[in-house]
Amino acid sequence: MTDDIDTLPSAPGAETTPRHLAPGEVGLVAPRDFIYSHPFSFRSGQSISGFQLRYETYGTLNATRDNAVLICHALSGDHHCAGWHTPADKKPGWWNNLIGPGKAVDTRRFFVVCANVLGGCQGSTGPSSSNPETGRPYGILFPFVTIGDMVRAQKLLLDHLGVVELHGVIGGSMGGMLALRFATDYPRFTRRVLGMATTGRESAQAIAFNEVGRQAIMQDPAWNRGDYTKDAGPRVGLAIARMMAHITYVSDASMDRKFGRRKKNTANGDAYTFDVQFEVEGYLRHQGQSFINRFDANSYLYITRALDQFDLAHVDGTLEQAFAAVEAETLIVGFTSDWLFPPEQNRQLTLALLRAGKRASYAELSTDLGHDSFLLESEELYGLVRGWIERDQPYVFDYAI
Amino acid sequence: MTKLVEKRTVDMEIIGDWVEPNTRVLDLGCGSGVLLDYLVQTKKVSAVGVDLELAKITACVRRGLAAYQGDMTDFMRAFPDKHFDRVICSRTVHELGDPTAVITEALRVGRTLTVGFVNHGFWKNRVDTLLRGRKLRNPVYTTEWFESRPANPVTIADFEHFCAAKNIHIARRAHLAGDWHSPCRALPNLFAGYALYDLAR
Repeated sequence: MTDDIDTLPSAPGAETTPRHLAPGEVGLVAPRDFIYSHPFSFRSGQSISGFQLRYETYGTLNATRDNAVLICHALSGDHHCAGWHTPADKKPGWWNNLIGPGKAVDTRRFFVVCANVLGGCQGSTGPSSSNPETGRPYGILFPFVTIGDMVRAQKLLLDHLGVVELHGVIGGSMGGMLALRFATDYPRFTRRVLGMATTGRESAQAIAFNEVGRQAIMQDPAWNRGDYTKDAGPRVGLAIARMMAHITYVSDASMDRKFGRRKKNTANGDAYTFDVQFEVEGYLRHQGQSFINRFDANSYLYITRALDQFDLAHVDGTLEQAFAAVEAETLIVGFTSDWLFPPEQNRQLTLALLRAGKRASYAELSTDLGHDSFLLESEELYGLVRGWIERDQPYVFDYAI
Repeated sequence: MTKLVEKRTVDMEIIGDWVEPNTRVLDLGCGSGVLLDYLVQTKKVSAVGVDLELAKITACVRRGLAAYQGDMTDFMRAFPDKHFDRVICSRTVHELGDPTAVITEALRVGRTLTVGFVNHGFWKNRVDTLLRGRKLRNPVYTTEWFESRPANPVTIADFEHFCAAKNIHIARRAHLAGDWHSPCRALPNLFAGYALYDLAR
């Protein structure tokens, strides 16, 4: 996910009301920590003595405890998907356009939960957490994490919150993988699944991009086989990994529109240097730099590995078999310009669900924003989400012909 | 809350009569899902629709129907033989780019194929074409030619000829008069305004 999702400028006359106090917004929010203090075994067979998940919630759990909507973030996302932490925050949570009172995911009706994944670095237990056995960060001694492990940890959080049934689970990209895994692993618990720009298994190309990112990190001498302190580490490698990954989240057309071949105002206008000349270069360097200040390189290795390993079909033989137990009503949304998890892979998920006899839909939005299109501010997308999450009352037929 | 009321048309009623309860139904060109919703409510079918437009898929999702946005032939190719009990092609057949391919695929993935279409051979349509010299307009053909997808002016005679030429068995037929309401009993190609067929291999 990119870091530069532009927030809409506030409406004229709204200058007096700060956005975090505006109606239709969840407003100021605070993260919380769920501490699970029992041993947790990973799919790899490795285990840890407990873990922490940082999460946020918006809205209220109803009396029947079945109005929860779980939001699952993408590779570099986190638990802060709506609202503001402080009035001084420049940007709200990453999916603020979708979540709030009266928005497509209406927090007046739904209890929205979003947690940082296990293996992450935004407050949940991961390779940068302290290993109780050594008192130092786990580094690459942290167990290998799978999407299924992340889902199991989040299910424990939902149990802790008292959620008896998920009204729905929504995720884009890797978040879509988690959402699908919820449907296969907790079929009775998961009523609705909405996966956007996602896949049942990455293509060779997507794995290849992840591998280049991992190599950039691991070839940085500061990586030191994953053993580094919080402020050190493979900053160059991680920045390069992010710069390259960022290109895969957008599209040729959107980059061309945003930057074209425009040049920076360099001091002497000298074309014969390797300093930043084109705006797109400066932008990518900025992306890389801002990423290293908020993301841990080892987490990047673990999570991209989890993405590559994810293969719904492999677990049970075929996608249809993997979906055999699913009870959720599923909506998959593809985006025409997504070349990382292209529409075809999203279609295949829907077709497999339908072949397995499940209720599944596929919708496709025409955008030129690439993989990150799922974060689009689009009434069409909101309409789909509302239709999926709320559902009209049944239509009544007039039998008088 | 206001109830959303929809009109049931006679062709919907006939298709509803032909559909067995609790079966698996695919609607090609499902639009907003009115027919499928009706079949779900009256026959408890397990339904899926295919359409090209996002707005139609959104409407279906809002009704709780499964719907797939994309090409209908590509869609059907993803399914094994006889996966569906019935495939429906209602008010869509005239717009098909490759009718033979779609109908052949539909008869492969479905045990039965139901087709409903406006009969261009209906005498009023003939006279209208002769006198007005303009494109046919009715509840199926609602738009001007320049706002329409290319459409074949199919007649009952043409359709039955197609079935004979392709060795497709006509299991059932229903012809409606020019009001699309009362049955047409004689010379359907001349006197029927609307036709419905149940086909099988």
